[in-house]
Amino acid sequence: MSDTKLSRRTFLRYLLGTGAVAAAGGVGVGLAPAAQTALARTDAPKARYALIIDTTKCVGCGACVHACNIRNNLPEGKSYVHIVPKDDRGRQWFLPVQCQHCADAPCARVCPTRATYRHESGVVLINEKLCVGCKYCEVACPYQARTFDEERGVVDKCWLCLDWVSEGKDPACVQSCVLGARIFGRLDDPNSEVAQLVASGKAKPLHPEFGTHPAVLHYIIEGE
Amino acid sequence: MGQTAWGWLIAIYLFLGGLGAGSFLMAAFFELSGWRYRSNFCPVALVGATVSGPLVALGSALLIFDLGAGRMQPWRIFYMFTHFSSVMTWGIWILTIFIPLALVYGFLELMESEAFLKGFVSARAPWLLRNARTYRRWVAAVGGVFAVATAVYTGVLISDVGPAIPLWSQPVLPFVRIPMLPILFLISAVSTGMGLTFDISATIADPEIQRRFRIMDLSHIFLIGLENIAIGLLFISALSAGGAAAESAKLVLYGPLAVVFWIGVVLVGLVFPFVVHAYAIGRGQHSLTSGVGSGVGIVIAGLLLRYMIVYAGIPAAL
Ligand code: SF4
Ligand code: SF4
Repeated sequence: MSDTKLSRRTFLRYLLGTGAVAAAGGVGVGLAPAAQTALARTDAPKARYALIIDTTKCVGCGACVHACNIRNNLPEGKSYVHIVPKDDRGRQWFLPVQCQHCADAPCARVCPTRATYRHESGVVLINEKLCVGCKYCEVACPYQARTFDEERGVVDKCWLCLDWVSEGKDPACVQSCVLGARIFGRLDDPNSEVAQLVASGKAKPLHPEFGTHPAVLHYIIEGE
Repeated sequence: MGQTAWGWLIAIYLFLGGLGAGSFLMAAFFELSGWRYRSNFCPVALVGATVSGPLVALGSALLIFDLGAGRMQPWRIFYMFTHFSSVMTWGIWILTIFIPLALVYGFLELMESEAFLKGFVSARAPWLLRNARTYRRWVAAVGGVFAVATAVYTGVLISDVGPAIPLWSQPVLPFVRIPMLPILFLISAVSTGMGLTFDISATIADPEIQRRFRIMDLSHIFLIGLENIAIGLLFISALSAGGAAAESAKLVLYGPLAVVFWIGVVLVGLVFPFVVHAYAIGRGQHSLTSGVGSGVGIVIAGLLLRYMIVYAGIPAAL
């Protein structure tokens, strides 16, 4: 992009594009989270994302959990990210788990209403207007990534802060991790750190034996 | 214990779906085999047909009551008819067809034994009464298919969660990819239906009936045997699978659910009815207490079986 000659037409197009994004942003301000989800659904670029969690760096401090809870306004005792303490023959380590945004997502398959669906970016979302709160998806998710919102009667989970992400920002959990254990980026850009980590095989899906083909979350787990 | 998303409302629903379906199947069987015509009054056909619709409808009401947003905004329930990769969508369709059929079946039965209804129908729709037998047989045959579907789908529903809850998706045998729960639930549905319509109602209505249908005692013993094998295979395969499946099995075999399992399911629902029915075969007849007792035991154990399976569902470890 650096050495592109900016012709007048492209320049105009950029200008128009920026204007459209700004307008969409303006509309987005003050919308309820559900509406923002819908916005993210229609306006997000056709990008593929990856979130890699480096468990060799994670100390289980829970900053990501707190950041997520604040971002999503979750009540006490609920969270989209949980940190599973591990003990492998005396070696302690921590495994942060949240929705893995599976390519073959059982939650989307079992959802009777199509409320749970897979966005073209690979992120699995819930259309809260369709959800009946049957909790079938919660039972069927092998990563235990879903929670039930008693107040609204719907199921919710990590949505990768898709609104921020489509603006080019990182999800809250990634921003909050001071140890750099969370690496976020675009998988469709072969030069990105995440694409290279995934391509090299260093970052792998968690529990591939579940057969759900996690598409967005990958892990670097060493010394297991 | 196990998963927490689904609780006792779902367990009761799974049980009522099975009991209603099993009762329908008993009535339909007595109808289609012609056994009901061996006497002028057949309690099995009457009770089976009349209770099945209300039982399944009650179960479905519990299911709806367990919903979140769907309970607060009931029109959302219609969305549940739309996604055919979901077993819950099949289930909603099956129930939507089965419940009215079962209610019609119940009406057709009641119409002939209740003097008030009979008078009402013969005044308004005499054709209905004239061809009652034909209609009944059609409803019994078509409804029977949906009754089997109802009983089986309750098992498919929870086994379809796959690796998330290993106990629920244990296969019939290693390398046979058919899950065990649909089969176990079908066996239990038929035997609870038999317990309700034959053991309880028929014994109360006419203890003599036992002499005419001694095959029922044999069928019970056969079903108890099948259920024993199914439960045994389920826990053997869960134990040998290790991980969360084995944890589930331990919960049931010697953990917090052991009382429910050994006393409720095994003693009350399998051993006791087996002894009662074996004794009745030797003696040629049930007493009122033994007939009702074994029926009640089987029905209660059917409920406890569902409860135990729902609560023993431990999610796969991460
Ligand atoms: S991790 Fe669970 S909730 Fe997320 S996509 Fe996979 S099955 Fe669905
Ligand atoms: S709880 Fe909502 S999102 Fe989950 S399966 Fe039911 S309708 Fe779909």
